[in-house]
Amino acid sequence: MKILVIEDDKTTGPFVAKGLRQEGHTVDLVANGRDGLLQATTADYDILVLDRMLPGLDGLSLIKTLRGAGQRTPAIMLTALSGVEDRIEGLEAGADDYLVKPFAFGELSARVAALARRPGYQQQETTLQAADLQMDLVHHRVTRAGVDIPLLPREFTLLEHLLRRKGRVQTRTMLLEAVLGINFYPQTQLVETHISRLRGKGDRPFYQDLIENVRGAGYRIAA
Amino acid sequence: MVRGIALQREAGFRSFELRVLGLLKSSPMRQALWLSLLFLLTSALSLGVTYYVAHNAQERAIQDSLIQDMISFRATPSAQALAVLVNAQTSETDPRRRLLSYRHPGGRVIAGNAAITQKDEGFRLVVLGADPTPVQGSFLLLSERIHGGLLTIAQSAKPLHDLRETFLRVFLFSLLPTITIAVLGGVLLARRAARILADLDAVLSRLTSGELTARVAPESMARGDLARIGDSVNRMAAAQESSMAALKQVSADIAHDLKSPIQRVAVQLADLQQIEDLPVEARQIADQTIVETQSIVETFQSLLQIAQLEGGSPKSRFVPTDLAAIAATFAEIYEPVAEEEGRRLTLSLPDQPVWMLGDKGLLGQMLANLVENALRHTPEGSDIAISVSQNEQGVALTLRDHGPGIPEGEQQNVLRRLYRLEQSRTTPGSGLGLSLVQAIADLHGAGLALENADPGLRVRLSFAAVTL
Repeated sequence: MKILVIEDDKTTGPFVAKGLRQEGHTVDLVANGRDGLLQATTADYDILVLDRMLPGLDGLSLIKTLRGAGQRTPAIMLTALSGVEDRIEGLEAGADDYLVKPFAFGELSARVAALARRPGYQQQETTLQAADLQMDLVHHRVTRAGVDIPLLPREFTLLEHLLRRKGRVQTRTMLLEAVLGINFYPQTQLVETHISRLRGKGDRPFYQDLIENVRGAGYRIAA
Repeated sequence: MVRGIALQREAGFRSFELRVLGLLKSSPMRQALWLSLLFLLTSALSLGVTYYVAHNAQERAIQDSLIQDMISFRATPSAQALAVLVNAQTSETDPRRRLLSYRHPGGRVIAGNAAITQKDEGFRLVVLGADPTPVQGSFLLLSERIHGGLLTIAQSAKPLHDLRETFLRVFLFSLLPTITIAVLGGVLLARRAARILADLDAVLSRLTSGELTARVAPESMARGDLARIGDSVNRMAAAQESSMAALKQVSADIAHDLKSPIQRVAVQLADLQQIEDLPVEARQIADQTIVETQSIVETFQSLLQIAQLEGGSPKSRFVPTDLAAIAATFAEIYEPVAEEEGRRLTLSLPDQPVWMLGDKGLLGQMLANLVENALRHTPEGSDIAISVSQNEQGVALTLRDHGPGIPEGEQQNVLRRLYRLEQSRTTPGSGLGLSLVQAIADLHGAGLALENADPGLRVRLSFAAVTL
């Protein structure tokens, strides 16, 4: 994919660019808002990664200008501001996702992957599948190798979320937001515990573990 | 249908009644009414005095003319002659203006009009009207004994009557319109004032609900004291808005200046981890440092969030929220964690939804903080009970644990930022959890009480009842 990174911080910018390049993306890096806007409008990118506070033109105005001009390129906003209001402000300006600093590269990478596939996941499936696991979305039933796996509603939602994003890492924060509906950092191992519950029912009794632990990033069900 | 209309009419009437009551309660209207009443009393008094004086003068004039008349009759030589004169004059004068009667001394012979015949001497005011008299109206009469008989002369009291009519007319045609105008003016002024006050009230409640851009519109301000109040409200709002903006700016600056270096540290640690032949020990130190930087960020974010909550701005996002549903969700989310850590989380809810006005995300965060606090400070194997209850006074969210509780004198201290009890120095935590709970409770206008549950701690949050 072709990604434009607009980040003025001299350490973070190159770090993000390098990481994304290592994953096989083509990355352009610019260090101020004005150049970023020019670059984003003249070249064709698949994803924009931009800082909220930029010299020249701040990230919010930049994304507003782009969206005002009809540019729909998916954008992730990086920011030091973590308040719910700041998040809402960023999303309202036209950003598709919002990542609070400091972040681990795994988090950014997972979110870039999520954004890139966003339009693909619109079709209405009635069953989801991974290896020998089957999820019936209509009857809310999960079976593995023909054996019924009884799941609580929250466990079902968590498994469905991972299955729908097969092959893509889902970070702890992403799961907190999407599955548990939580926008703050809990002081307990919430996500880990829910995953471990799900594993206890869906993985442990069987030969092959479906839910992978991706070190330093999150969880994934292999495609 | 008919009933519907009747109800509607009744409702309409009631709302009219309420509006009138509201107007009567407003001070400009009351002032207008008092002034009108005072004006009415003064005018009635002065008009009354004038009437009294004029009436007396008129009466005196009629009496004088009666006395004058009487003198000319005294000049007659005998009763016989007097009777003849009375009869002669009776047939000559207009009975509506003047009447005469003379009763003979010994007998019943009466000259003139019998209707006005009296028994004693002196002035009298009589009203004629009954049959068989052809004359009607009120008369002032004077009786006097002449030649042994009683002569009565009556003169129409119509001028007196006319005087009363005139005064009544003066009263009706000058005073009543004046009073009507005063009352109407009062009503108009009162309505205007009521509208301005309603505007002020609306702006103030928008401001307290966190909408800091609300201002009193200049056109709704009258001149005078209300304008000054409107002005003060606007200045206060502007001051609060700019201090909120300043707080936001400072928060943003601090966030940026602090987080950018932390981000760089995180980046460098990540680079460090990528070095292939890094000793295991160094890798562990790098991992630990990453965790530490994350906890710095979390503490810092909590501090920022508390400051923002105390600024009060998120209130504008308040919507009707089911507190019971939030409690159920968080009990469900935290149940596996509690079980993992060897505690039992129980939940007790009313059958119906418990509605209140609030920010769902913040209320959830508050409950999560309380549950995590309880998980941290209680012994393994103990129960943690969440309950939501509702009565007429309001809504209560209670969380009770079976831990060591908080010593009597420390209950207010634990709400302070970064404060930690001696007994929990060794347990993890930032000392901000309960401060955040307090800030969120304050934002919702809720009371926060920490009670000794013997054993354990009971945290009770009381929210005001709302009608949705």
